[in-house]
Amino acid sequence: MAATDEQFYREFILDHFRNPRNFGRLDSADISHEEHNPLCGDVVGMDFKVEDGTIADVRFHGRGCAISQASASLLTERLKGLRLDEAREISRDDVLEELGIQISPARLKCALLPLKVLKVGAWGLAGQDEDEFE
Amino acid sequence: VLSFEIAGIHPHDVATILDRHDVAVRSGHNCTMPLMDRLDVPATVRASLYLYNTQEDVDRLVAGVHDARKIFGV
Repeated sequence: MAATDEQFYREFILDHFRNPRNFGRLDSADISHEEHNPLCGDVVGMDFKVEDGTIADVRFHGRGCAISQASASLLTERLKGLRLDEAREISRDDVLEELGIQISPARLKCALLPLKVLKVGAWGLAGQDEDEFE
Repeated sequence: VLSFEIAGIHPHDVATILDRHDVAVRSGHNCTMPLMDRLDVPATVRASLYLYNTQEDVDRLVAGVHDARKIFGV
């Protein structure tokens, strides 16, 4: 049974949880957006510095379970240097694939909360309709 | 009814690991958000025992808690 747990909470997920990449705030952020999951209390926010349509820097902050925080850390690693239109292409399947574990329906919201922050934040700045992505 | 938390592990992570030990608990605010604020915890894990639960069930819960601490290194 323990082996199954270790497969779920894979070492790299725990590593991202314990040592989150790009954790903190940006003073002069061009986009700042935060989302909550009221059912479990997870909070994830992201600050973006955008130059010529490219994400020059990104930081995330928040608290919550290992899945939500590791997912946010992984996502920020992927975002840095990406153009906003490329960032918009990131899908929920991309995020789940990167996590690489079987996420139960109850934990999907945890895994996808950072993507929601990105979507509403980045798409909002790009002047697109947020409703399109709900 | 026993509500608890393990320092350093979010209750949802605890519940997921217990689930993998075939132990069904509830985790989250348990519809008591003001109390969670007051206690300054993000959420709790809640084990509800009843007549049909056996000693083995409780042992499995305890084993699951130890396993969670091992996995998270706390």
